[in-house]
Amino acid sequence: MHVNLPYIDRIWRARGEVLLDEPLTPDEAFDRLDPLFQTAGSAYAVEGDTLGYSKHNPAAQDKLATFTRGTLRLDRQDGRSRLVFDVSSTALLLCFLAPLLFLGFAQTMVALNAWDVAGTGAVDAREKDKEAEKPKVKQELHPLDKLLGAPEPDDPDKKKDKEKDKKKKEKFDPTRAYVLAGLFFVIYLVGRVLEPWLFKRTLRAALAVKPEDAEALEDARAGAGPSPQPEAG
Amino acid sequence: MAGVQVGNRIIGADAPVTVGWENIGRVEGGPIKQFVFTHFQPAVLFGLIAFWYYAPNEWALASIGIIIGLCFKVLLLGLEWVNPRYRSWQLTWKEFATDVFYVGLGYTLLRMVDTYIGDGVMIEAVQGAFAWEKFSWFTSLPLLVQALMISMIFDFGQYWMHRGMHNWYPLWLTHAPHHYITQLNINKGAVGNPIELFLIGLGIGGFFDFLPRAFLIAGALGMAVGTYQHINVRFNTPRWWRFIFNTTEHHSVHHSQDYEATRSNYSGTWIIWDRIFGTCVDGEAELLGMEGGRRMDIRETMLFPFTEAYKDFRAWLNKPADAPEPAAAQATVAHQPEPAE
Repeated sequence: MHVNLPYIDRIWRARGEVLLDEPLTPDEAFDRLDPLFQTAGSAYAVEGDTLGYSKHNPAAQDKLATFTRGTLRLDRQDGRSRLVFDVSSTALLLCFLAPLLFLGFAQTMVALNAWDVAGTGAVDAREKDKEAEKPKVKQELHPLDKLLGAPEPDDPDKKKDKEKDKKKKEKFDPTRAYVLAGLFFVIYLVGRVLEPWLFKRTLRAALAVKPEDAEALEDARAGAGPSPQPEAG
Repeated sequence: MAGVQVGNRIIGADAPVTVGWENIGRVEGGPIKQFVFTHFQPAVLFGLIAFWYYAPNEWALASIGIIIGLCFKVLLLGLEWVNPRYRSWQLTWKEFATDVFYVGLGYTLLRMVDTYIGDGVMIEAVQGAFAWEKFSWFTSLPLLVQALMISMIFDFGQYWMHRGMHNWYPLWLTHAPHHYITQLNINKGAVGNPIELFLIGLGIGGFFDFLPRAFLIAGALGMAVGTYQHINVRFNTPRWWRFIFNTTEHHSVHHSQDYEATRSNYSGTWIIWDRIFGTCVDGEAELLGMEGGRRMDIRETMLFPFTEAYKDFRAWLNKPADAPEPAAAQATVAHQPEPAE
């Protein structure tokens, strides 16, 4: 997704920088970031001071699962090293577009309701008239339920009167589809703010770990075993 | 990996599975946390049953049930945050957004499809063809008995549909995408190919007439038990609960990367069906999924049954009529995702 669409591409792209506490060369910095790209489906290449990466369908717990493509460039500003990132996310774009899908479902429901009223409403009305002719018996609770105080079921005759007053119920209620469209818009907004912040935090944490510390940590983990649960058998 | 013998099967030979209640983890923390996460599940279940049993008629509506269900899911999302079963299953923004997409499909697209070809329509057609009335004598039974019958009849159907999906290749093609989930969270039950979600939702309950209030109590049973199948919360589940009800522990075994373990714990709410039919394995697993935990994206999930069926059809067409089955290939099939029974 390297389309040059200024402003619009902010929907799925994140740009920013991470200031480093200690001066690092590009090689040193990318060495520290290396574990982030040693995951299934990851590919990356370093060219001078820039690292380009892409991740194909990363695992759920991959730290860079949301931003699956981008570049990281190390430069110096005011005597301090900084990592400048420019990354993009298919997930953010799809989440931004998801409300359109659910609005589409809502409109389909509205159209089906209209079609139902126009085409089959008369048949339904005849069937309902037939049903209405059948005498409905008031259902009784079991004596045990009466003893325990459960409310008696409604009298079907009284209920019928109430229903007549109500507007004819439509086949599909599009409210859920509208709510889901709104929900996806909220999820998008949360993701657009949260995910770049988490991305920066991940980079900062990775850059703070010296390679020798990372190796010691790895050894300790290997010593502790691969899984926190006892293995069967 | 040696695995553990359960009945005449070896569980955990391909991937780690913890077998036996005595080996699974417990809630860690102070007495209040222990108390909450020990009694939460029964308290919610009995509270909901009492609510629906005594709620006035104007409250006893399906719409109120849906609102309670949504609030309950939000509460459970909070519990996943406070007391996760495994850190490796922690919900991320991307996983949450993906899960909500599948939940959304269930509430919109599948509802539309169900209205035209769902179990209600099929049952009505059968009743019309044979001039059957509904079996209505159940309405005179006590409400809780009716609710238990609704829940157990539906779950019995779901058990056999699910077991069928693991044993008949065409059905397996629809169910396989659900087994590519690599962690359990409360909305993961909705993740899968829509055809599978349509099939698993079919029930025979429509043949019987029950009081509406009994349906609401049965719904509460499904909500306050079935929801825990896919949840990342560590509970000290009571012994009686895990004997009769399905739990996240049971369902994690079903989703584990161990092939034999996936062929167990098929029920949705009542694990008692698995105990009766000999497919129950008590235990839990952390490493879930297929193909070593490869995540399946939405596009592949939607297309999987068709692309796989097409590939198999092509392979069948291109296979020479007299070609013998290579022994090595047969051995591999035993560990492939498709059911090999």
